[in-house]
Amino acid sequence: MLVGLIVVWLLVNFFKDPSEFAAVFLIGLTNGTVYGLVAIGYTLVYGILQLINFAHGDVFALSGLVSFTVLVDWLGVTPADSTAVAVGGILFTLVVVMAVFATVNVTIEFVAYRRLRHAPRLAALITAIGMSFIVQNVGLALYDVDFRSASGLIPRTNVFEIGDVSYTWNKFMVILITVPVLVLLTWFVASTRHGKAMRATAQDRDAAAMLGINVNRTISVTFALAGALAAVGGVLFLTQFNMRYDTGFELGLIAFTAAVLGGIGNLTGAVLGATLIGLIQAFNEGLAWHAPGSDWTRSIVFGILIAILVFRPEGLLGERTPEGA
Amino acid sequence: MTTEPTREDVILEIDDIHTYYGAIHALKGVSLNVRAGEIVTLIGANGAGKTTTLRSINGLNQPRDGRIRFQGRDITSVPSHQVVKMGIAQSPEGRKLFPRMSVRENLEMGAFQRSDRKNLREDLDRVYTLFPRLSERKNQKAGTLSGGEQQMVAIGRALMARPKLLLLDEPSMGLAPIFVEKIFEIVREINEQGTPILLVEQNALMALETASRGYVMETGRIALADEAKALRQNEQVRKTYLGEGA
Ligand SMILES: Nc1ncnc2c1ncn2[C@@H]1O[C@H](COP(=O)(O)OP(=O)(O)OP(=O)(O)O)[C@@H](O)[C@H]1O
Ligand SMILES: [Mg+2]
Repeated sequence: MLVGLIVVWLLVNFFKDPSEFAAVFLIGLTNGTVYGLVAIGYTLVYGILQLINFAHGDVFALSGLVSFTVLVDWLGVTPADSTAVAVGGILFTLVVVMAVFATVNVTIEFVAYRRLRHAPRLAALITAIGMSFIVQNVGLALYDVDFRSASGLIPRTNVFEIGDVSYTWNKFMVILITVPVLVLLTWFVASTRHGKAMRATAQDRDAAAMLGINVNRTISVTFALAGALAAVGGVLFLTQFNMRYDTGFELGLIAFTAAVLGGIGNLTGAVLGATLIGLIQAFNEGLAWHAPGSDWTRSIVFGILIAILVFRPEGLLGERTPEGA
Repeated sequence: MTTEPTREDVILEIDDIHTYYGAIHALKGVSLNVRAGEIVTLIGANGAGKTTTLRSINGLNQPRDGRIRFQGRDITSVPSHQVVKMGIAQSPEGRKLFPRMSVRENLEMGAFQRSDRKNLREDLDRVYTLFPRLSERKNQKAGTLSGGEQQMVAIGRALMARPKLLLLDEPSMGLAPIFVEKIFEIVREINEQGTPILLVEQNALMALETASRGYVMETGRIALADEAKALRQNEQVRKTYLGEGA
């Protein structure tokens, strides 16, 4: 019923103004990929520890701010530079910030979560919320309340233009960077020794240990991956939008919703959920005919979170497991 | 009684271990040993501490007191992921398979710590020969198998480590009688191929028929230790564990 109404609403919008619809669709897709990079971090960590790492959104935001320092303050890349310089700067920044935040995330697990692994879940959850505030306030202390942005480094010239629909290089870069990262991640998890250890540990930690898997190290690897992906999200976000110390709070919740929507613990699900949320947000804010508008975005996103938890807690791609996890 | 084992004979030696779950004192001084080539069974009522004994050997719950020696080396505080490298594999209580991996992937995970990956094929074939059923199901997700099939995977996975000692925790639990027979047959076969086995069982009758020696556990202690044949004749054991009326 509700789904039917939404489909009708989308169709009407599509036929009223196909080019606007397509443009909005592309915006949603681009934003969704950034959400996806953060959502994967929630899902990876939840999959292996059954812990909602509330600090993850704040790690993302801090990584964006640090990438501003690297890209703008240190490398001094400005919109006046050539595209080649901008691309080189962004790639260099990516590598540095990924390494730094992989380390930060591993440290967070080691300091805050490891000892609580056998403690009641509530203890770990409260620690995660505490960690979220700590990371956020480190961001506040280092960067104050000002917004930072590095948008405009990549020219807004068009990749393609069909009628009124155009897609700029600036946005396309997000996809160009995210897709290989996701392909690499998939390969890593599916085929490498560490990836196998991660999957085994997520499915049965004791059995994994019994078979010779170093569980502590595997959990560290998982946090490193999550931190590195959040950093990719941070850099890309910085090249599109403004961000400051508390940007991670809301974006983290959106990404978490995406992970739950896709089925928490499921990698493909996180990307799917994030894409859907990106599209929902873009349609809601961008379509002309009877869209609720941006004032409603949060209500809609968190309405989705509640609806999923009530009606399909395993998410779109998750499997109902006997443990209920 | 048999002669005292010589030191070289004993491959696993547990000496007065005390293991806790938080404040719960689960093992209150357990001693037992396993010698080369034999099947030893550990029987006892629910909650006696059989699983805890195996988890102590594995390093999943390290004892606070006492010593565990394997092939002469002290493994009391060796982390669990290294115990298997030294040659101890376990098929755990409740099977603990990786439900979203295929049968084949589960078996391959059993060889995770081995450096000689090239013999993998050969070892897979050995497991498939022992359990032809698994060969038919090798691409099926382990979580969708029947209880008996899951048990086969759990044992097969442990064998993939090429263990020098195999720990089996209630391999017959929850299985139909026909499967139980089959599992015990395979336990004997694995042993005949040269692997010593420490077998934890609720099914005391079958266990005592399969093993050469047995230990009876009661509330965290070893209550009886003897030849399996002698235990089968033991008045106490017959009454409590073999279900023979008083
Ligand atoms: N995770 C745990 N936390 C607290 N106590 C535990 C835990 N696991 C086992 N125990 C306690 O330790 C004691 C020994 O348990 P264990 O599982 O070793 O018994 P068992 O002989 O294997 O029993 P069963 O035949 O039911 O498998 C029991 O009293 C049990 O309640
Ligand atoms: Mg048990």
